[in-house]
Amino acid sequence: MPFQRYLLGLGFLSPALLVLAGLFLMPVALTGIIAFTNMSISTGVSGGAHVITGNLLTGLRDDGVEPAALDRLAETVFEVTPEALARARAAGVDPAFVADIEERLVGRRFTDGRAFERELKGLPHRPRAIRDLKVAADLFGASILNTRFADAAAARQAVVGVLPDAPEATVDRIVAASYTGWQWTTGNFARLLSSPDTLRLIVNTVFYVAATLSFTVFVGLFLAIGTFYLPPATAGVFSVLWLLPRLTPVVLYAVMWKWFTWEGGFVYTAAEALGLPAFNYMKGSVPTAWTIVILVNGFIGASFSMILFSSALKAIPIQQLWASEVDGASRWQQVRYIVLPQLRWPILFVVSYQTLSLLSSYQEIWLTTNGGPGRTTSVWALESFNTALNNYTGDLQYGLGAAMAVMLVVVGVTLSVIYLRLFRFDDLVGRPKIEF
Amino acid sequence: MSYRKISVTLAVASAILASTAAAALARDVTVKVWSGGTGPTANYRIDAIKMAADLYQQEAAIRGEDIKITVEGQAWSGWDDFKQAVTLAGESNTAPNIIVSGHEDIGSWSKSGLLRPIEDYVDFDAWPLNQIYPNLIAVSSFDGKIWGIPQDAEARPFFFSKTHLRQIGYSDADIEALPAKVESGEYTLYSMLDDVKKMQDGGFVEKGKGFLPRPVNGTDYWQFYTSFGGEMVDEESGKLLLDTAALTGMYQFFVDAVDKGVVPATHLGSTWDSWHQAVAGDQVGAWHAGTWQKAEWETKWGLKDFFGQMQYSLIPAGNAEGHANTLTHPLVYLLSKAGSDEDAALSAELITIASEPRINALHAVKSGHLAIGEAEAAIPFYANDRWTATATEGLLPHAKPIPNDPNFGVVWKAMFKGLEASWTKTSSVADAVKAVETEVKTSLGDAIIIR
Repeated sequence: MPFQRYLLGLGFLSPALLVLAGLFLMPVALTGIIAFTNMSISTGVSGGAHVITGNLLTGLRDDGVEPAALDRLAETVFEVTPEALARARAAGVDPAFVADIEERLVGRRFTDGRAFERELKGLPHRPRAIRDLKVAADLFGASILNTRFADAAAARQAVVGVLPDAPEATVDRIVAASYTGWQWTTGNFARLLSSPDTLRLIVNTVFYVAATLSFTVFVGLFLAIGTFYLPPATAGVFSVLWLLPRLTPVVLYAVMWKWFTWEGGFVYTAAEALGLPAFNYMKGSVPTAWTIVILVNGFIGASFSMILFSSALKAIPIQQLWASEVDGASRWQQVRYIVLPQLRWPILFVVSYQTLSLLSSYQEIWLTTNGGPGRTTSVWALESFNTALNNYTGDLQYGLGAAMAVMLVVVGVTLSVIYLRLFRFDDLVGRPKIEF
Repeated sequence: MSYRKISVTLAVASAILASTAAAALARDVTVKVWSGGTGPTANYRIDAIKMAADLYQQEAAIRGEDIKITVEGQAWSGWDDFKQAVTLAGESNTAPNIIVSGHEDIGSWSKSGLLRPIEDYVDFDAWPLNQIYPNLIAVSSFDGKIWGIPQDAEARPFFFSKTHLRQIGYSDADIEALPAKVESGEYTLYSMLDDVKKMQDGGFVEKGKGFLPRPVNGTDYWQFYTSFGGEMVDEESGKLLLDTAALTGMYQFFVDAVDKGVVPATHLGSTWDSWHQAVAGDQVGAWHAGTWQKAEWETKWGLKDFFGQMQYSLIPAGNAEGHANTLTHPLVYLLSKAGSDEDAALSAELITIASEPRINALHAVKSGHLAIGEAEAAIPFYANDRWTATATEGLLPHAKPIPNDPNFGVVWKAMFKGLEASWTKTSSVADAVKAVETEVKTSLGDAIIIR
């Protein structure tokens, strides 16, 4: 029956597998794909079109495409011919208006669209709505300039229509250059490797993760052990208080830190009263900004590690502590020789889990210092978010931001493997050596 | 059935049919307007469209057209989240019909297909669009097409505290003559640093508050690049241009300001509230801001006597290569791809009506922005407002916009990153300039000229 057992196991796992696929594997796969594109706000996400514009023609001229061909593409021509008049009638333009055009403008040729429109505006049966007039005017135009073609075939047909004698290579070049959408590239990774910003961001991120992690583990341990030795009721009150940073919604938590550290806040007022420098401690200096970033994240992490360590402490057989007291052990000796050795696995778990969590977290920094002053407290994850989705100039570079995120995933997976090996997780989940 | 009964039945049936037909003809349209960088004093960016809808409905009723327009407005006070929202909404086909944004977004948004060229929907030869300043129409154009209709104009002048200038020995006549000295290049950014240092040394201004630039990113910083001779576009080729000498001069200026102790190294990224409080409360020697910020200082920050308290001028030149300047960053009404062609035509008509001088003047005067057209500048409500009138005359002729090139965002982002790095002394000025050069070269290749 092993097959049925596997099926049952898979059945139980299926919700987790679905969540894993939907919330982790698919976003990672999509990010991986986008990382190899030049997708940005200009190219759009859903695919581009083909547009021949004045700037494009200037660029092609600089690249050596035959100027005569480009001049012909740049031409804007409106001609009142019998064919164009028939087109207008077939398109449902008011017959009286078409009759006006035929009567007054037939045979005329305009190289300026606005001049042609002005002529149309002077006709007795011109449409009331300017949009209707412009739609009618377009039916007399023969220019492909600024027309948005949905695909390359349509663009090619239009270009060949204007340049029937042009060599195929020239047409190919024009059509390819007219594409507005994204393209495949490895350029994002090359940019990250060559950018002087990369090293600074790595240093910032390593510092942030290491400092916050140390705070998380040591404060969490201190709290867990401290509350372990307190009477249960008092310990309960302290535990709940220390859980508040984790329980408070992140935006509210960030606002509270602002009240605490900004001008007029508690720290500012206290510093002023004590004659110490009073300024915005969150944004006013690099050391205090880093301190705030580490504390804001550290308190959340500390409450998480406190819960884990506290539950692990409760699993320590109390007889061991009694025996040590009989032997005359001090509190510190109990902690050093009984408690800490038995907290090895929870500590390793907190270290590995929090490393990965901190590497990818940016929301607390975004809501507090926002990477400032300057960019001194910016980390890799925040920079990736800002590059792809959030910046003042609106220059959203999805491809580059995704490449940064992919690198974060690679670092995270590598660290996971290292942690699994280094901390021998196999032993942790292996069969117990003594069967009860 | 008698003849009479048949007649009554037919009459009732016709009446019912007529009423349902009328109901079927009535058009119910919802127009969504999203506006970025819009604080409480700039409510008319959206309210003008609501007024336009009201006017349009009245005109339609006279023509015999039954239409009900609902305008749904949403304003963002900042830019980051606004641009993110517009872009993502555009990608998911839920963009608003009308977008009010900075003109520099036209390049990338038109390329990605988010916008419709507004010139296909409106008549620039007819009232009220035919009175809009041609340079603002040019700012709303890109690659041969007019994509937007200017919503406002502005300038970003330099300000001095009259009180603190007097304290360091300026007479009233000297203060009055200061703008002319700035314009001629006699008074430079470094003269300003010397003056604000004197204010600090004399104990008139707190240390680190002598010169308080804008605390966050903004187009304003391009003015300092211009002050040191920088150009954003190469006139000959039309390509983007990065002048490394001007960038070096600009970065060095802010580093020198930090070294003199007149501005903190950690100033960038500080809060708007403390900045407003300091400049409106006359605690600062010199600063730069937008013309519209006068309205904010008066309504929110308790400024009582603007002309008595503050002197304004162009941004001073930085060195002999540069010149005094100011920048205009008009917001534009843009037409998105959302909805049908008919919806777009209606939205365009509403934008046209909202550009009526009297309606636009409400926004200009209330928010401290400048007129978009000649007729608006002549309206007494606008012309008799001292600030808007003097700013229109004294600053607007010197104002230049940033380019609409879709790649300009890359250069802007790199420029500000370099400014942050050098200002906070995370890197030297030379390294910061080199980093900007590398970044734009790697990203844009031949699309930018580096001088």
